[in-house]
Amino acid sequence: MDERRLKESFARAAAYGDEAALFFYSHLFLGHPEVREMFPVSMAVQRDKLLDALGRIVAEVSNHGTLVPFLQGLGRDHRKFGTLAEHYPVVGASLLATLAHFNGTEWNDDLARQWTEAYTVIAQVMTEAAAEDETRNPPSWEATVVSHERRTMEIAVLRIAPDAPLGYLPGQSVAVECEARPRLWRCYSMANAPRPDGTIEFHVRVIDGGAVSSALARSIGVGARLRLGPPFGTLQLDVSSRRDVVLAAGSTGLAPLKAIIEQAAGLDDPPRMHLVFGARTAAGLYDLADLEKMTAQWPWLTVTPAVSAEPDYRGETGTVADVIGRRVPLTDSDAYVCGSSAMVTATVNRLQSLGMAQDHIYVEDFGWSES
Amino acid sequence: MTHANSELVTPERVRSAAFTPTRLGRRGLDEAEVRSFCEWVSDGLGRLLNDNSMLQAEIQRLRERLIGRSGKGARPEDVHVQAVHLLSRAQQTADRYVADAQQYSRELAMDAHLRRDEIVREAKVRASMILETAHTSASEAADTVRATNDQAHASEQQEIQVELAYLRTFSEVCRTHLHAYLESLTRSIDEWERAERRGGLAARDSVVPKQHV
Repeated sequence: MDERRLKESFARAAAYGDEAALFFYSHLFLGHPEVREMFPVSMAVQRDKLLDALGRIVAEVSNHGTLVPFLQGLGRDHRKFGTLAEHYPVVGASLLATLAHFNGTEWNDDLARQWTEAYTVIAQVMTEAAAEDETRNPPSWEATVVSHERRTMEIAVLRIAPDAPLGYLPGQSVAVECEARPRLWRCYSMANAPRPDGTIEFHVRVIDGGAVSSALARSIGVGARLRLGPPFGTLQLDVSSRRDVVLAAGSTGLAPLKAIIEQAAGLDDPPRMHLVFGARTAAGLYDLADLEKMTAQWPWLTVTPAVSAEPDYRGETGTVADVIGRRVPLTDSDAYVCGSSAMVTATVNRLQSLGMAQDHIYVEDFGWSES
Repeated sequence: MTHANSELVTPERVRSAAFTPTRLGRRGLDEAEVRSFCEWVSDGLGRLLNDNSMLQAEIQRLRERLIGRSGKGARPEDVHVQAVHLLSRAQQTADRYVADAQQYSRELAMDAHLRRDEIVREAKVRASMILETAHTSASEAADTVRATNDQAHASEQQEIQVELAYLRTFSEVCRTHLHAYLESLTRSIDEWERAERRGGLAARDSVVPKQHV
């Protein structure tokens, strides 16, 4: 395999960006119209994802240590979309047609052969991981909404019961699809540690113009059916650490951190934990009642609510970063941060400027913005 | 907002770009302006990509014509390329409609939020006004109650005065009766003395004074 030639030919096609991705999908759907059903109506986000994944694969093509786990994850993750082994050659053919089209006169039989070989290996790693996963897990988990609570205008707390048990680690997330918005998957964190009855809570915040979040928070109710992908995410409590723990939650970024608190409660010797739970308004502190119950029960837990856009609030005012800087001693601590991109960036910057080491900071960025 | 230089610029990435707010005390940019600029760039980029793909199709068509002139006929896969471009245009139109609908609903929701905040703010002002009115009424009511209390005090005093007057009258009556009794007693003693001076036991029985009161 000639790595340099693969990279060059890919770069020529990738230079066309969105246009190349458009060509790829149109080619795929024309040849196999039945595959179109697996995708949402709008393909704009999908095309970006394709370019990201292909770009990463090509960049890491000779770096097997990182490429193989990435492809295995991709293979497992694609099971929830209904991807089957027979789809792989079809996709490969469209990928080659796309590369050939955008390479123009530079394309030749030798390049075609190189790409076929490379794609065969990629598809093999993905399908093998998918097949291996099939022996242990369903392609996705069907679940029923058993309670649906609107806490504020924008936030709902859903409790769901999966048909088959879903094993996960506190702090992890799943992709969620609902009947009202088929083929649109959005990620939510489990807001509780695994329970004996298997129920899971999601904290759903409505994003303005967000199709899935508004359906989950407003349109659906008890009895609605959801589909969940496999658990993922690396925001996990380092149980071997003997340091204190600072938890920084912006709005529904609370969810994975609440699961981590519940996990700590199950440890023999829970670390001291200080949660700063921030929202724009006091009304946005949608889960205070539960958090108060937790602090009453667990003396090692402290909760400080923070409100950023209500100067007359009778508590700590300012952003989560401000309140941590003011109220929380950071010496010999680990920090876990979850919230909007802006909140996560601002909080991590503050923690570092206050002297916290980068490898003591754990982050989950949901990629949504506050606006 | 952070991005790797290797990442390609696409309309969706520009549209969904998130920016880090500036720290307090430093000047930031107007968020609505930044957002509308991103919309504008995203639209422009979409149009350019569209033009680009039309030009691509045109190049392809011309190339095919050249090849056709050089003797080869149109191959079935060339027709396929035309179909791919056609489907791509249809997909882009659909993407645009979905993006517009989402943008519209986002604007509606943001507008609704602004109005809600305004209503809440107004309600707060009104509530504090009502509270103030209530305070005023309460203090007025308190004054009235205090005044009524004074009145109550007066009537109580009046009652005491009446009782006092009664008691005064009563003591007067008692004194008068006592005086009368004492007088009759003195008279009886005088009578007794006179009768004793006259001598005789019969007169002794009559010295016991009669009860007056």
